[in-house]
Amino acid sequence: MEIFSEYIRKDHLLSQVDARIKLIVAFSVLMMVLSYKGLAFPIMVTLFCLLLCAKMKVPLRLFILRFSEPMFIAGVVLLLKVFFSGEEVLFSLDISGFRLSAHRDGLADGLLIAGRIIGSVSIMAVLGFSTHFTEFIAGLSWFRCPKGFIEIMMFAYRYIFVLLEDAMVIYGAQKNRLGYSNIKRGLNSFGTLAGSLTLKAFEHSQNTATAMVQRGYDGSMPMLKHKAFETAEIIGSVLLIAAMGFIWKI
Amino acid sequence: MKLIQIPVACFILSMFFVTDAHAMHISEGILPLNWAAFWLAVALPFVAYGLWKMKKMSSIDVSFKPLVGLMTAVVFIISCMPIPVPTAGTCSHPCATGISGILLGPAMSVLITSVALLIQALFLAHGGLSTWGADIVSMGVIGSFTGFLTFKAFRSFGAGIAAAGFMAGLFSDWATYLTTSVELASGISGDAPFFPLFSKIVIAFIPTQLPLGILEGAMTAGMLRLLYNKRPDLLVKMRVLRPEEAI
Repeated sequence: MEIFSEYIRKDHLLSQVDARIKLIVAFSVLMMVLSYKGLAFPIMVTLFCLLLCAKMKVPLRLFILRFSEPMFIAGVVLLLKVFFSGEEVLFSLDISGFRLSAHRDGLADGLLIAGRIIGSVSIMAVLGFSTHFTEFIAGLSWFRCPKGFIEIMMFAYRYIFVLLEDAMVIYGAQKNRLGYSNIKRGLNSFGTLAGSLTLKAFEHSQNTATAMVQRGYDGSMPMLKHKAFETAEIIGSVLLIAAMGFIWKI
Repeated sequence: MKLIQIPVACFILSMFFVTDAHAMHISEGILPLNWAAFWLAVALPFVAYGLWKMKKMSSIDVSFKPLVGLMTAVVFIISCMPIPVPTAGTCSHPCATGISGILLGPAMSVLITSVALLIQALFLAHGGLSTWGADIVSMGVIGSFTGFLTFKAFRSFGAGIAAAGFMAGLFSDWATYLTTSVELASGISGDAPFFPLFSKIVIAFIPTQLPLGILEGAMTAGMLRLLYNKRPDLLVKMRVLRPEEAI
């Protein structure tokens, strides 16, 4: 859970920008990356985002953890396309009598998808590293995201950390009693752990509802109020989207 | 050519056998725009139905919304937990959508999954915003409905709660994995035929996903057994058990 973006410091320039502006810019650039038919634009976006991450002083370990899964998936997709797609043979491998051919057109397709993955993940990383959860929620409500959905998100986010702490305590106790010493015991222990979390969720939900009703909860929660947009932020975002759009077009 | 064979072969093996596998979530950017939009369009009516149902339920019981939120947190945590997969030598993670489908019903489970996936996509790079719809369809819709229906079917044939839970977890996991493979193959096949790539994706993830399905089944059975032993009243309240079965 240490890779959760919320844990990094957010006193840099990007964190001061309105979450709604960041969402609009991120979504626009994401659409451009997804619809681009080449490698140059995603690479450029990736480099730009990496630069922003460096400016935000994102810890290297966090950064590597954040990118490890998408990089792994990009690698798998690239291999699938190179070895199992395409017609023009680039080279062949003989692995224990099994002949595997790499294809030039498969490599081109694979690189395109890998570039798209890394470009998109970079955009989301910058958004995640620079936006607090509460600001993000406020932004979503401004975009008319259903209130029920936002409320569930708020409840979930609040209790992820509470339940995670409970899970760690139970896991530690199970481990000390050799609960994971073999596969069978491990499975039993994991089932008990997951079941205990569910039980705790029920108990917490009852207690939370009681406490909220006592404080005047009537079934809907108040949302953050939005401040007015700043002209400089609007102009900056329009210029950035226009510049990206121009590069995307050429 | 011989020289490049060794590093390439090592790289291929390392991709499948060393890194943690997160095969259930389709990563950000894998799907082109048209497929991303298609899967989102498929997913949204289910999410909307879940929201409508939650509104209806919470007007009757004020603690229902906090309960859905907390179950979302449980699904979030379980689907982030790395579990060692002995046959593949990797770690993977369960989905927990089968159990949420059994406990709160498939409609609520889709809503729960969609919220958990959005938080994971935004703050953990687990899944993605552009692949949110595809992930909701595979994990939320297919996983939850398969888990729920399998549980109901096995219970109607007289299976015990743990046995039915095991089968529900197993099939919900495998159904999710197959749907993810369909989504991946359709999204990345381009002009190439769909089925050859689909079969290769299915084969590539068999070492991880087949044992993981069994692990998910065992986890679901363990959860239900614990709930049955500790709080059978909750299972009755959620219509998982009939009142006479809880005694």
